[in-house]
Amino acid sequence: MSSDRGYLRFRTSQRIEHWLLVITFVVLAVTGLAQKFAQNGLAIWLIGILGGIETVRVIHRVAATVLMVEAIYHIGTIGYQIFVNRTRPGLMPGWRDLVNGIQLFLYNLGLRSERPKQDRFTAEEKLEYFSLVWGTAVMIVTGFMLWNPIATTSQLPGEVIPTAKAVHGGEALLAVLAILLWHLYHVHVRHLNRSMFTGYLSQEEMEDEHPLELARLEAGDAPTQPDAGLARRRRVFRIVYGVFAAVLLIGVYIFISFEQTAIETVPSAAQQVALFAHIPPTAEPTGEVTVAARLTSWDGGIGALFQTKCSFCHGGIVPLAGLDLTSYDDAMLSKTEAPAIVPSDALGSGIIIWQQKGDHPVEFTPLELAEIYDWIERGAPQTNQEG
Amino acid sequence: MIQRKRIRFTHSMLRSLIFTGIMLLVAGFILLLTTPVSAQPPAPPPLPSQFRSTDVIQYEGQGAPDNEFCLGCHENPYLQLIFPSGRAMSVTVDAEAYAESVHGQHGTEGFRCIRCHDDIREYPHPALTATTERELTIELSTACARCHTDKFDETLDSVHVTAMSNGNQQAAVCSDCHTGHEVQRVTDAEIGEELPTTKQLTAAMCTTCHSEIYDQYASSVHGVAMLEGNTDVPVCTDCHGVHSIQGPSSSGDFRLFSPEICADCHADTTLMAKYDISTDVFSTYVSDFHGTTVTLFQETSPNQMINKPVCIDCHGTHNIMPVSDADSPVIKENLLATCQRCHPNATTNFSGAWLSHYQPDFEHAPLVATANLIYGILIPVVIGGMGVFVVADFIKRRRNRRQVPEGEQQ
Repeated sequence: MSSDRGYLRFRTSQRIEHWLLVITFVVLAVTGLAQKFAQNGLAIWLIGILGGIETVRVIHRVAATVLMVEAIYHIGTIGYQIFVNRTRPGLMPGWRDLVNGIQLFLYNLGLRSERPKQDRFTAEEKLEYFSLVWGTAVMIVTGFMLWNPIATTSQLPGEVIPTAKAVHGGEALLAVLAILLWHLYHVHVRHLNRSMFTGYLSQEEMEDEHPLELARLEAGDAPTQPDAGLARRRRVFRIVYGVFAAVLLIGVYIFISFEQTAIETVPSAAQQVALFAHIPPTAEPTGEVTVAARLTSWDGGIGALFQTKCSFCHGGIVPLAGLDLTSYDDAMLSKTEAPAIVPSDALGSGIIIWQQKGDHPVEFTPLELAEIYDWIERGAPQTNQEG
Repeated sequence: MIQRKRIRFTHSMLRSLIFTGIMLLVAGFILLLTTPVSAQPPAPPPLPSQFRSTDVIQYEGQGAPDNEFCLGCHENPYLQLIFPSGRAMSVTVDAEAYAESVHGQHGTEGFRCIRCHDDIREYPHPALTATTERELTIELSTACARCHTDKFDETLDSVHVTAMSNGNQQAAVCSDCHTGHEVQRVTDAEIGEELPTTKQLTAAMCTTCHSEIYDQYASSVHGVAMLEGNTDVPVCTDCHGVHSIQGPSSSGDFRLFSPEICADCHADTTLMAKYDISTDVFSTYVSDFHGTTVTLFQETSPNQMINKPVCIDCHGTHNIMPVSDADSPVIKENLLATCQRCHPNATTNFSGAWLSHYQPDFEHAPLVATANLIYGILIPVVIGGMGVFVVADFIKRRRNRRQVPEGEQQ
């Protein structure tokens, strides 16, 4: 597969796949690790600029969905290679790869003189590829559980959910660290490998990294030989894979829409109580004097009523307004400008006038006032005999 | 012989008799009409203007009127204020109670009445602007702000002032909680700490308006302890604030930040040790899905009303029960029902997904602990191994690169 540009390593479709994977992986890693390390200041900042945790979760789930669909496509490409083209699954790790890896390590340590010669896919690449396959499988399974906890716990114990969360987070951290270290070193640091951009490796790169593949190509080892059954196999594969992919896509749809885990409203309080339920204050003494019986005369109740309600001001050393209601004689001799009590003339009596005006600091009750009115009209007697 | 003079009814006599009779009848009828027959006195005639016109009572001592002067009238147990509506309000002051209040205790003689009632210096008093007892209470409460400006300003953010400004006159003002004349200390004068009686006093004040909530609280694990005299437990103001009283209705952030309120006590190791309560409750909440979400909302959108569960959604609010109570919503028997309030489709195993505030150790969550252990080993081993491999490769390649040009030179 040599041309002017070098040796073809990745077809355009494979490079698109790779970049799709890069985008989804980065989005998943960023939005996922921000959730795993949610107390971290950087994570909080990131979640803030992404529009909040709800949005971050949506982004994470959209990326996960894209990744799952991508995985279904990828299974198709592998299946096509194996069943239609009948090529060797070059990425399948074997005993040889373990030996290569160990030998490479020993060589790097100076314990072997020769770097092990590797084929189209090196041991380092196979390790990364299978980490990705394994990791994606783990993430899809645990991701389903976290996405659909009610469905999961309808079949499995509840503890599976926090376990899935622990695994999902642990695997994420492992994958991100592995990519940062392993992938970045091997294709960016050690030597900037441009094949994922251009599709091709140079002669020197092939000599350095894939000497066995280079040797096979130079020996004229065509990767595939078209044969008579190809067209039929392709037809069968398309049908089988079509059904397979349809089932998996339906699976993805179920995955992402399986359950409505929680309500979307604010949970109502278990017990509703009235916010405002006023207890009326204990009634303060209103100053009501219960008139038990008819107040027949000054001695027959009127004097006592005045003593109770009036003498506080209209009594003592300096009776207010010159009115002293503590004794009958003083009351009748009141020095007010209008006499307080005018016998037989209630409406001309100061007490009645002032009380009926309605803003005296101490008010008689209507019943009390009626009794006083009646008493004055009857000539304001001091004792019952006079009345 | 006695000659008896016969009286003869002359025509004129008869006429005058009939006239007199009619007049008597009319007079009697008029008398009957004008004499009050019921207890209700007739409407008052126009008031003689000279009556009590000179009744101005002024303080004759030096300076401002003292309390004795005011109490001269206001100790009268029958003294009342009559509103235009005719409703009377007692304006009697309990002088003894005032003398025992924090204001009455101030200095040597206590604050004078005019300290608060600063517009009243003589009798008659200035005309009222308030038309009801409630309006007068609200008006007078502004007097508190003159000295307690900081506290008054705090109330401006409160649910009560918000309700008041929305036209709800029932909303509490200063004197509704502190009383008017019987204001008590709530903190120690010297060390500034809450007095042991304050919690009970506070609850008693809040219950006047929030009696249903109080009833729930009083039977809760906190309320029962408070009523027994425990001062560690929260009373209304510990969660809702003192003057800037907040509630879930005031803004989204009360609900959103409510876990912090609980954490104030429940993450306090010394306080919780006293009651043998785990202080992991807050950290385990935060590290769980619910708590993580809530803390992120606090950071990124602090004013948003969220439906993410906070402590009270599972444990209850005012009616938080001890876990020994069979009705506690968080004990195993009731937990699923509690989960179902937000996760209506949850089935039996679902509530097991919540680790009951336990750290995921091998005793309480062996599966989670195992997963954590595996990744705790796997990550350093894998990444460490990769690191060693990468470093070795890197060094070897650098060494090779340095050797190659030397070979070319030869």
